[in-house]
Amino acid sequence: MRLLEKFWGGKKSSRTSDKKKKGTSNYAYAVTRVRAMKSKLVPKETYPRLLNMGIDEITRFIQESEYKNDIDELAMKYSGADLAEHALNRNLALTYEKLLRITAGELNYLITEYLRRYDVWNIKTLLRGKQYNASVEEILESLISAGEFTYTFLSELAGTESYQDIIEALKETEYYPILQEYDGNNLADIENEMDKMYYSSLFEAIGKPRSKDRKLFARFVKLEVDVKNLSTLFRLKRAGVEQLDEILPLMIEGGLALNTEKLAALPYEDFVEELRKTEYWDALSGVYSPEMKSLNALESKLKKYSLESATTYSHVSPISIVPIMDYIIYKHNEVSNLRMIVRGKEAGLADTLIKDQLVVI
Amino acid sequence: MVGEELIAGPVLDAAGMKALSAALAITVTGLASAWAEKEIGTAAIGAMAENEGLFGKGLILTVIPETIVIFGLVVALLINQ
Repeated sequence: MRLLEKFWGGKKSSRTSDKKKKGTSNYAYAVTRVRAMKSKLVPKETYPRLLNMGIDEITRFIQESEYKNDIDELAMKYSGADLAEHALNRNLALTYEKLLRITAGELNYLITEYLRRYDVWNIKTLLRGKQYNASVEEILESLISAGEFTYTFLSELAGTESYQDIIEALKETEYYPILQEYDGNNLADIENEMDKMYYSSLFEAIGKPRSKDRKLFARFVKLEVDVKNLSTLFRLKRAGVEQLDEILPLMIEGGLALNTEKLAALPYEDFVEELRKTEYWDALSGVYSPEMKSLNALESKLKKYSLESATTYSHVSPISIVPIMDYIIYKHNEVSNLRMIVRGKEAGLADTLIKDQLVVI
Repeated sequence: MVGEELIAGPVLDAAGMKALSAALAITVTGLASAWAEKEIGTAAIGAMAENEGLFGKGLILTVIPETIVIFGLVVALLINQ
């Protein structure tokens, strides 16, 4: 079928709304390569072992795996937990850069759009850092240069005096109109706006999906939106926020199965009752109890659910963008798991506490 | 008139038809296996770039579509017998 589609490509492209197909994408190559990369991720059996190690042992373990180059290069500058954290972030950025390097055409375009989330993340980190007077070192620790901004550019921004300089430096970017609104106090609103802008431009890039793999990709992003909205709602509801005009601006549009307007209006108990009707309840029912103290378990269950769904989707459409997205979020999950272990150990947290935070599949 | 004899009789006699069919059998199957090998070959190279141990498996999978053109060859030979 794909062959026929390719031959008729010229004629068909005028009718479909899957926009911006620039050149052909090397799906077979990219997908198998990414699958081979996925097989090298840290297996779930390793996490309990890591929990029994000290920071140096963990760094050593990381050095012997895929993160060798990163540890080797950064070992001169940092040590201990900082070394691990910088190496993890660097590796994540380089891995995503590699994905962009090995893909072409439409695939490359969609991945670039998806990875813009790291630009948003970096801008947020910079502004937050400046607002709370964090040192340049502290800011650099959290930057992940996986988006369009390079690490050099970002570290220059981190070295500036105030947030005005940062916003000024971003004048040419599409984030500028939102950043202009920032007056030093409304960081939360700005962050929200940036998230919303990210998702709306991502949905625009996907267009109105016609082909099966685009539909699955759209579904994948929508699920992500739902999961985000759901954890925001849980937090708000538990905190007893019930005014619609406070909740609705925090919701991201374009979710899959959640009717955010309806859910936002309900008090906590009814909200949970309503959730029982959605597909997310299967994932949540195991950990939900009315008297639970923290939402951590719930949030990691939700994350796990979205990771598992991504894998399912990637099996439905094996030669498409979905397996690559699947890898992107698994890699991110691995890095955040390892980071949690390292930071948890550094802070002297109990192993069981760290274990609850991990999302292991 | 020039070409009158062509219109009057069949353009191709039985031998010509046979030759053309054999050519078709080879051409179409050749194109088909070339396309299949291209897809599998690029995929195999992608996997090999990450894990060199997959070279043997990749090579075998890449040449499997070659059977298609071999069937084409057999058919072409049968037609010409």
